[in-house]
Amino acid sequence: MNSESLLKPSPLIPASRPEIIQSLIDGVDRYNPDNVSILEEYLGTQLNTEDYDLMANLAILKLYQFNPHLVNEQVINNILVKSLTAIPNPDFNLCLYLLHENALADENVAKLVELQQLLEECKYQEFWKVYESDDSYKELTSDAIGFEDAIRKVILTSISMTYQSISSELLSSYLNLSINDEEFDSVIQSRNLVNKEGVVLVPTNYDNEAKPTVIRENIKFEQLTKVIGYSNEL
Amino acid sequence: MYNEGFAEDEVDLSDEVDLLTPSYGGVEDDLDDDEQIQLMLQQQYAQEIPDVVKNFIIYFHRNVLENNVYELHGIYENSFNRLTEKFYMKTPWPEADFIAPLVNDDQVFLTLYRELYYRHIYSKLSPTIEHRFHSYENYCDLFNYILNSDGPVALELPNQWLWDIIDEFIYQFQSFCNYRNRLKNKTEEEIVLLRDNIQVWSCYSVLNVLYSLITKSRITEQLLVSKHGGDMIEAAGEYGSRPLYKMLGYFSIIGLLRVHCLLGDYTLALKMMDNIELNKKALFARVTACHVTTYYYVGFAYMMMRRYADAIKAFSHILVFIARTKMYHTRSYQFDQINKKGDQMYALLAICIALCPTRLDENIHAHLREKYGEHLSKMQRGEEGLQTFEDLFLYACPKFISPIGPNFEDLNSLIQAIEPHHHHAKIFLAEVRHQILIPTLRSYLKLYTTMGIDKLAAFLEIEPDKLRTQLLIVKQKSRQQKWNSGTLLEGEYVATSDLDFCLKQDMIHIAESKVGRRYGDWFLRNINKFQDIIAGMELRA
Repeated sequence: MNSESLLKPSPLIPASRPEIIQSLIDGVDRYNPDNVSILEEYLGTQLNTEDYDLMANLAILKLYQFNPHLVNEQVINNILVKSLTAIPNPDFNLCLYLLHENALADENVAKLVELQQLLEECKYQEFWKVYESDDSYKELTSDAIGFEDAIRKVILTSISMTYQSISSELLSSYLNLSINDEEFDSVIQSRNLVNKEGVVLVPTNYDNEAKPTVIRENIKFEQLTKVIGYSNEL
Repeated sequence: MYNEGFAEDEVDLSDEVDLLTPSYGGVEDDLDDDEQIQLMLQQQYAQEIPDVVKNFIIYFHRNVLENNVYELHGIYENSFNRLTEKFYMKTPWPEADFIAPLVNDDQVFLTLYRELYYRHIYSKLSPTIEHRFHSYENYCDLFNYILNSDGPVALELPNQWLWDIIDEFIYQFQSFCNYRNRLKNKTEEEIVLLRDNIQVWSCYSVLNVLYSLITKSRITEQLLVSKHGGDMIEAAGEYGSRPLYKMLGYFSIIGLLRVHCLLGDYTLALKMMDNIELNKKALFARVTACHVTTYYYVGFAYMMMRRYADAIKAFSHILVFIARTKMYHTRSYQFDQINKKGDQMYALLAICIALCPTRLDENIHAHLREKYGEHLSKMQRGEEGLQTFEDLFLYACPKFISPIGPNFEDLNSLIQAIEPHHHHAKIFLAEVRHQILIPTLRSYLKLYTTMGIDKLAAFLEIEPDKLRTQLLIVKQKSRQQKWNSGTLLEGEYVATSDLDFCLKQDMIHIAESKVGRRYGDWFLRNINKFQDIIAGMELRA
């Protein structure tokens, strides 16, 4: 039960990926600029749901990389916003590597990078402070339905990996929810956490267990072939 | 115009390649005078073609006609390089037109010869813009001949040469992209030439060639059959059953791994390898340079995807291989290149080890300490180590390319193009910066089994809240996606650190995993020794 990490890589083939997208990104059709609208449309459905498809989004950025006249800044922003919800997977950076060198200087991209840095550095309270400091951040992420909840999930995973128990006050500040808020209760219940007298208990999992172990050597069958060979000679 | 090649169905793709043959707007005219002067020079210089070179070319031509791969191997790897050292260290080989009479004007041979001719200029001299254009044209001729003749061509070439063709094609593409981006010291004529010939060495044309070779050779189908079984002859088809096509197709896959890395698309780079298994039996291991290239780019892509454990595995595998086979390739003409790549991989390995401390093969570890010991300790020292990360990264990263040329319409942008490797270094270093305090923190955690947050914060002279944040980072960074089975992109998150901990409110509980003693190896070695002794005694008796 505890043998798997809470962290999951972004799926190579998400269950929600339509067949047309699959065949498009598998073949050379992914380089055809005419297909960019199909991929952009698919991004649109990702924005309206919890679905997320890194490979398909990278295919959009690839087309932009080769065909600068296709570039749609709003699409780039939305791809980056979606990849914020995949942290600590490296998706955000994988997208940045594909952008043109000058794109990092873009004001909106710079703001998203700022949010990314705060999340990667686990400065969750600061993240919310910046996010709420000015309407522009909310506007920037408004296309992605449920963005804030998705970020809370990222944070909750990080906390569940590290803590076995945490004061509910601290947790609520990480999640930017008040302790008395019903949402706070429903968020922690969604992860089977228990709020008990001001302390939230996290069930043990692969990541927060911290058991000392001794790594034993592992002898493979191939290493024994010679020895088994000798027994034949007897 | 080139994009259209990709719009077609996959099957038709290769037919589009003939679009590649460039028609240079205005280049021909500009070159006419130059060519005439060159021709005169050549005529003088023709009388100077030494007899031994003339004989070599005749012999070379005969062996190409006879498809004598064994002899061609020697010609390609040894004779050509020996003659280069003797006669052409500072001048180009004789122009193809010039040796044409020696080979009955055999156009296929002349195309192959030009491939060597331009490659020699790139490696020993400095290519002019005309060389770059003509070499591109020559590659188009070569690939058109291979892909668009009626039926498969009868040509056979040594594997090493086939690899070098793909490798050099990509190298010249990368070199051209960087050349095009540096407009500072170019004459107006050169800028006009670049502007009017955007399609030359364009990304689409290069990818088109590589994908066409893959399609034509049906290499993907062949790899699937060799993995899952099936009828190989049927899978390979008319073209793919010939070694020339099969190997060019295979090397194109590795070529795409490289091109996508150069473009910063690391997932797509590794995706190219979906049907290739990384083991010693793989085809890439047949050509040392290809073997080394494969692991360098696989390792690099893993590193950029934060999969340091996988990167370390790739780098150490190939570094062990290079160390073990050193004596065989000291004489190879690629010795220097392989060594350079090896050095770069040690630098990358140092970066990965600093980010993800791991036990290494003993020899590799000793060599790493000797070469980068000082760097390694600097990288453990917090903020001041960042510079070392950057130095090593810039030394060892591939030469990234910016796929679209500068904007010739906007004169300002002509001057201030950002070098693509700074772009990549910047993003990567931001990543490193997050974890720069981890080594210090780890060194404290190692000393205790339980410890209060306040106490540790006091040791580190930071705020308790900041320490909590740091601990969250340590936790996240101690998990990495790691390959276990399947394609290179697959993998699950596992703990990659020997130090683990958890927090119960304000108390840190620390657990360390230790490596148990290894008995198995010792017993195996001694059983073998014992068996040898018995065998020895039996012989005597």
